[in-house]
Amino acid sequence: MSRIEQFQYDNRIVRAFGMASFLWGLVGMLVGLIIAFQLIYPPLNFSQYGVPFLTFGRLRPLHTNAVIFAFVGNGLFTGIYYSLQRLLKARMFSSTLSWVHFWGWQFIILCAALTLPFGITNSSEYAELAWPIDILIALIWVVFGINMFGTIVKRREDHLYVAIWFYIATWVTVAVLHIVRSFELPYSFLGSYSVFSGVQDALVQWWYGHNAVAFFLTTPYLGMMYYFLPKAANRPVYSYKLSIIHFWALIFIYIWAGPHHLLYSSMPDWVQSLGTVFSVMLIAPSWGGMLNGLLTLRGAWDRVRQDPVLKFLVVAVTAYGMATFEGPMLSIKSVNAISHFTDWTIAHVHVGALGWNGFLTFGMLYWLWPRLYRTNLYSTNLANIHFWVGTLGIIFYAVPMYWAGWTQYFMWREFTPEGTLAWGNFLDTVKQIVPMYMIRGVGGLMYFTGAVIGVYNLFKTAAQGSFLANEDAEAPAREHLVAPKVAGEYWHKWIEGRPFQMLLFSTILIAIGGIVQIIPMVFIESQVPKISTVKPYTPLELTGRDLYIREGCIGCHSQMIRPFRAETERYGEYSKSGEYIYDRPFLWSSKRTGPDLFRVGKKYPDSWHYNHMMDPTTMSPGSLMPAYPQLLTNPLDLSLLPSKIVALRTLGTPYPRNFEKEAIEKAKEQALAISKNLNDQGIKDPGLENKEIVALIAYLQRLGTDIKVQPTATSK
Amino acid sequence: MKTKKYLLIFLWLVSQASLWAQAATTPAAPDPQVNQLPQIMTWVFLIAGSLLFIVAMAYMIKVNQFLYKRALQLEARLNGVELPADGSAVVADPAGDGFWTRMRKKYWEDAVPIDREADILSHHDFDGIRELDNRLPPWWVNMFILTIIYALGYMFYYHWGGNGLSQTQEYEQEVAIAKKNIAAALAGKANAVDESSVLALTDSGPLGEGELIFKNNCVACHGAKGEGGVGPNLTDEYWLHGGGIKNVFKTIKYGVPEKGMISWSAQLKPSDMQKVASYILTLKGTNPPNPKAPQGEIWKEEATAKPDSTAKEALPSTTK
Repeated sequence: MSRIEQFQYDNRIVRAFGMASFLWGLVGMLVGLIIAFQLIYPPLNFSQYGVPFLTFGRLRPLHTNAVIFAFVGNGLFTGIYYSLQRLLKARMFSSTLSWVHFWGWQFIILCAALTLPFGITNSSEYAELAWPIDILIALIWVVFGINMFGTIVKRREDHLYVAIWFYIATWVTVAVLHIVRSFELPYSFLGSYSVFSGVQDALVQWWYGHNAVAFFLTTPYLGMMYYFLPKAANRPVYSYKLSIIHFWALIFIYIWAGPHHLLYSSMPDWVQSLGTVFSVMLIAPSWGGMLNGLLTLRGAWDRVRQDPVLKFLVVAVTAYGMATFEGPMLSIKSVNAISHFTDWTIAHVHVGALGWNGFLTFGMLYWLWPRLYRTNLYSTNLANIHFWVGTLGIIFYAVPMYWAGWTQYFMWREFTPEGTLAWGNFLDTVKQIVPMYMIRGVGGLMYFTGAVIGVYNLFKTAAQGSFLANEDAEAPAREHLVAPKVAGEYWHKWIEGRPFQMLLFSTILIAIGGIVQIIPMVFIESQVPKISTVKPYTPLELTGRDLYIREGCIGCHSQMIRPFRAETERYGEYSKSGEYIYDRPFLWSSKRTGPDLFRVGKKYPDSWHYNHMMDPTTMSPGSLMPAYPQLLTNPLDLSLLPSKIVALRTLGTPYPRNFEKEAIEKAKEQALAISKNLNDQGIKDPGLENKEIVALIAYLQRLGTDIKVQPTATSK
Repeated sequence: MKTKKYLLIFLWLVSQASLWAQAATTPAAPDPQVNQLPQIMTWVFLIAGSLLFIVAMAYMIKVNQFLYKRALQLEARLNGVELPADGSAVVADPAGDGFWTRMRKKYWEDAVPIDREADILSHHDFDGIRELDNRLPPWWVNMFILTIIYALGYMFYYHWGGNGLSQTQEYEQEVAIAKKNIAAALAGKANAVDESSVLALTDSGPLGEGELIFKNNCVACHGAKGEGGVGPNLTDEYWLHGGGIKNVFKTIKYGVPEKGMISWSAQLKPSDMQKVASYILTLKGTNPPNPKAPQGEIWKEEATAKPDSTAKEALPSTTK
């Protein structure tokens, strides 16, 4: 028998991450509430008073980033820092690294909160942040990795428990995803263009975006479930075999499923099909986690009625099961044709976010806080109220959004027998769902109220207890550097004793799917048939495009006309992959709260856009779009154009040599022409050629017009 | 028997793949009308086939049960043991599980009961957490296998040799079917009006509908009373693209994209365009406040003799 060692667990870092999680969680949910009500009552955008940083387009990425990276991010660090130490029988490798990690992460969140509302974004969903912040994220993630692997190395357990397999896969995959998605060429201190363009950028984006859900919102939380659920239920995990199979199957299959975000787009059919079939194959591995969670509760269901922690965990795991069944269904083409671009998607992600991540976080915190503060939970009643208000909130959120999604689908595609769109005016389809948006707002408000009650309960719990900063523990020292083989033990034990092999195998498995999909798309030219008439943007259009990105137009407007008659009748010829080759980043979007804009070019006169930006309701009565009067008065800044042109040419856009020297001149010429045009159409404001609006008009009027010139696609 | 079952499931899945992917359209065929029947037949076939399959399975299970009983009786007799004639003693297997229990354990769920779980409990614990070594839930394994078969069938159907349509082909088919249906719907109807046959309506009913269409679609550019805004004044005698019902109808139908007037043919039925065009003609001389300055040329009804040619002449002269 080996020597018993005394040591202490670090609870301070756990408490810090826990507090950060619920405090940022409240902020993220509040921003979500604000943007939900903006869709009911557009004046809440405040942009009509010339305040630019509170519009839906700018706040929406703040909401998603705050909830994903601040609320859930800090939540998963809470769970990992607590369970990792105990599962390995070791204190964290380095307190310094722990605190660098903590403050670094909070600083990143602060940077996000200080850049996104100011329009500093690159429009890639969940990867909007400017390149210096991207670098910071990578550095902090490495710090986290060193700290985690350091702890694993100095562990007092021979083998790694299943939770830690998930933590390892999380770490390596998020690192790979983040780094590849951040391949971008800076043109200024905060601005950059994606290395990938058009269809390729779309593929990389959804390989990233989908797997951010998989490896940031799912795998670490599964690991946490494997720790906190058996602890709270005081029951053994149902099946060790199931853990093994569903873990490896999950991480291998998940990575392939990204293209299901791009069904019926200009993505080649083979990529789309891979996305579909791997998503369908993902049901069982995902449900493996749910089963192992729910079946662990066998014999403990009576306690679920009494223990709020278990209630939260059960609803979380159930929501996970529902979302991971719905996801594969949404990946089937004909179902996706219904859901894509509609509020069904919003319902789907919120079942996952509010149910799975939100409730698991709260369940965990309710379990942790009394232990960290050596006391009982302040109020079980309040926790129960939180549970019911939150659960009802999820239902009130999701059901109207499903309803809205189907309504949109049916209205968008309904034809009269004579072959015209029954709801030709897109606004009719928007006004129809506003009542659903109201109910959704109520649901969100309920969930938020629950969270406030929860935070109050946790603070009261902390106040009545005394914090245990360093928790005494003891365990036998590890005798062997490498776990010895025991006769008759399960084959999988081998790798459980070898964390670095586990890291290696995980890396190989998660790399395969991405490589098979991305490498051919990026390096085989025939995957994206060239169209001879498609030309790079003019300098002014490029400037306008960057304004479109700055304002977050992507939050409501797609630029992808799918090959459905209902879309080609409404918007024009369906989109071809060759039309996007100069798009860095791509701006297909995934939501149509407003109409598609891919072929809006030349559809309306310049003055229409001018008036529409000043106040959308003048041109489209009942529109939910914020007003953008500041675009009409903001001076047009062309100073970055030369470096933008150079950056784009470096990445492969065929601007001629020395074009950067005449770019500003060219932009001014075009601006003058547009302002003259506006003048002819009755807009008499002076100095329009020096305002941002002309650049945005230039871009919008260019959109989708290249193939009208000569609609022959030539494969090269 | 097992192989046969999987084969049947596989075939069913492959047929499903085509149904799911083309729910809105019909399979490739020159005439969509004729093709309605096979679509229904596919479903009839599927449902009937599934029922038949269930019946066949139930029958085979019965036969199997009977043979099993007979075999046990034979074996018992050979060993000199007498069994009750009804065979009740042998239906239950030695472990005491009945048929449905065995089926459940094999294909559905096979957890070790809680009171016996000490047998499969891990010896080691992680911070107090122990693990059971329960068998994988059989239904879960079966579901996993089925999804893999589905994936292979899907890839085969769409890429490796099946008849799956590409999304572009699906689209072309959808448009072809729509064209046919529209032609059928328009045949002999008032909706069939076009710019050569359209006449101005004067009844208050259709004009009221026209006014509503105008309010919903046109006021953004032409003003609430037709006084003009982004678009030209519709209440004066001047017209950019020709006045009179036929020219106004034509402008609405095809639009003047280079000047910002969109084509409304996708959004308004021909009869609706007729109504709104008729309503617009009634606006002449209403003198609303804040009128936009006249644009184009004075249109006189005498010129209606050749509306089309006039319209063509009017077009180039408008770009001033």
